[in-house]
Amino acid sequence: MDALMDRRGGLPLPHRRFAPRLVPAPGPKPQPVAPTGTVACKGCNRRFVTERYERALRVCSLCGYHGVVPATLRATQLADRGSLHLADFSDVEDRDPLHFNDGVAYPKRIAEARAKTGLREAFMVARCLIGGNPIVIACMDFGFLGGSLGSAAGECFARACEMAVAENRSLVAVCTSGGARMQEGIAALAQMARCSQGVSGVAAAGLPYISILADPCFGGVTASFAVQSDVILAEPGARIGFAGGRVIEQATHDKLPDGFQTAEFLLAHGMVDQVVLRADLRDTVARLLGVYSR
Amino acid sequence: MTRSPTKMAEQERAAFRAVELARHPGRPRTLQVIAGCFSDWTELHGDRLFGDDLAVVGGPAFLESPGGERRQVMVIGQEKGRDAESRALRNFGMPHPEGYRKAQRLMRQAAKFGIPLICLVDTPAAHAGIGAEERGQAWAIAETLITLLELRVPVVSVVLSEGGSGGALALAVADRVLGLEQAIYTVAPPETCAAILYRDAGQRARAALALRPGVATACEIGLVDELIPEPQPGAHVHPEMVIAALRGSLLRRLDELCAIPIEELLAARRRRYRHAGG
Repeated sequence: MDALMDRRGGLPLPHRRFAPRLVPAPGPKPQPVAPTGTVACKGCNRRFVTERYERALRVCSLCGYHGVVPATLRATQLADRGSLHLADFSDVEDRDPLHFNDGVAYPKRIAEARAKTGLREAFMVARCLIGGNPIVIACMDFGFLGGSLGSAAGECFARACEMAVAENRSLVAVCTSGGARMQEGIAALAQMARCSQGVSGVAAAGLPYISILADPCFGGVTASFAVQSDVILAEPGARIGFAGGRVIEQATHDKLPDGFQTAEFLLAHGMVDQVVLRADLRDTVARLLGVYSR
Repeated sequence: MTRSPTKMAEQERAAFRAVELARHPGRPRTLQVIAGCFSDWTELHGDRLFGDDLAVVGGPAFLESPGGERRQVMVIGQEKGRDAESRALRNFGMPHPEGYRKAQRLMRQAAKFGIPLICLVDTPAAHAGIGAEERGQAWAIAETLITLLELRVPVVSVVLSEGGSGGALALAVADRVLGLEQAIYTVAPPETCAAILYRDAGQRARAALALRPGVATACEIGLVDELIPEPQPGAHVHPEMVIAALRGSLLRRLDELCAIPIEELLAARRRRYRHAGG
């Protein structure tokens, strides 16, 4: 009789009917149904109630994995409550210098990205306060064509820099990107220079510029404005570099060291100022600007 | 545009032939251009931080006009190498962070002495490797871009054969950018683009057609100002002719730029890159 008793509660288990099905059911294999209102951590796959995960800023309480944050949510997380005002850059023109088509025409890809993210470009720019300090915040959205840097995105960042100078605000950029937008070819490369020019203007005005690097950040974005800041902060575990690890492995056939290109690896190599937990980002930025903006 | 598969394949092959032509080993290389255009060039080595990158060469020299007037210049360039041995030694013209930091050192030196800077671009891309990442490849390139944007002397860049990725742009932010007619100047080498866009580096010919990698495209969007004509079928048949034409252009451009007050020149450079790429 003991075998029928549940060890925890002593209540009898429901009777099971053993009818092993040897032939799989026709049609697609049934997927385990995710409970509604939950979300899985990309690091350890543990499921959280969405509300709780959002309250934790999309950081897993179990493994510490920092989940992807879209641009607008990122700005909301960093800004003082009620202080966020989006800049209207709807007059920034789209460019398609190469009439690029890789099966799907490039303008159509942009339209899809817009529908998916609700953003006009890979950059979202806003005015806000952080710890009471006036800021222009420029956030990249990895969901928008991999956060890639094209002419329109470059123009948004350049305007953000000019806005900071004109209104005497500090600049905060949250960078996450696969790099230059290949679909725009050489015009995308030029954006590295355009964004660098923007940073140079902010520096000439004596204004602080803090960049926050989130996973992943590569290519022409890392090799320009992402690391031209006064202070470089990185989120734990974020992969940051010029060439991607896979590219390096293929090109050199070298075995990549453990933790290669992670924020912690770069901190150890002297490339970033601090690795900061997402929950501490706002305070860290506020503290720094409190000192620099005097 | 025709979409028939055979026609497309033919166009793709033609596009990649243009890339191969730009990579022709007989095209004028940086050291050859330095020997042909400048006198009294003294090579300066090392970045004073880690090492010496042989993919980047640089040093002060004179640029002589036909009238015998000598103009001091600082020359920095990426060198791919000529034969198997030198190509390996120079890492196929792909600089490490040390190369960009050496370039920065020489740029600052040019500004100290108030002599114009000439940059010669010839690289498929910046080196992708473990050491390069550990020592901050992206940081080195980003810093070089800022250094050039703010450099208080006239800057002229020349895309000799191949300019690829931020690795090329790091030496191509200038008041005037020249390009040899059949050079290519791209956001990344066609192989890398294919790997990113089509997830298959083997589709490099397709990427080469789609990217329009010719330096003429860069000219259209205003990133390059002047094309130096080449003999048919390319500069490799008469490199000395092309070098002579390049020297003429450099002299003209330096005359033009040195006549402009430095503040005006910097303001124009800022405007140029504020609107770079449309």
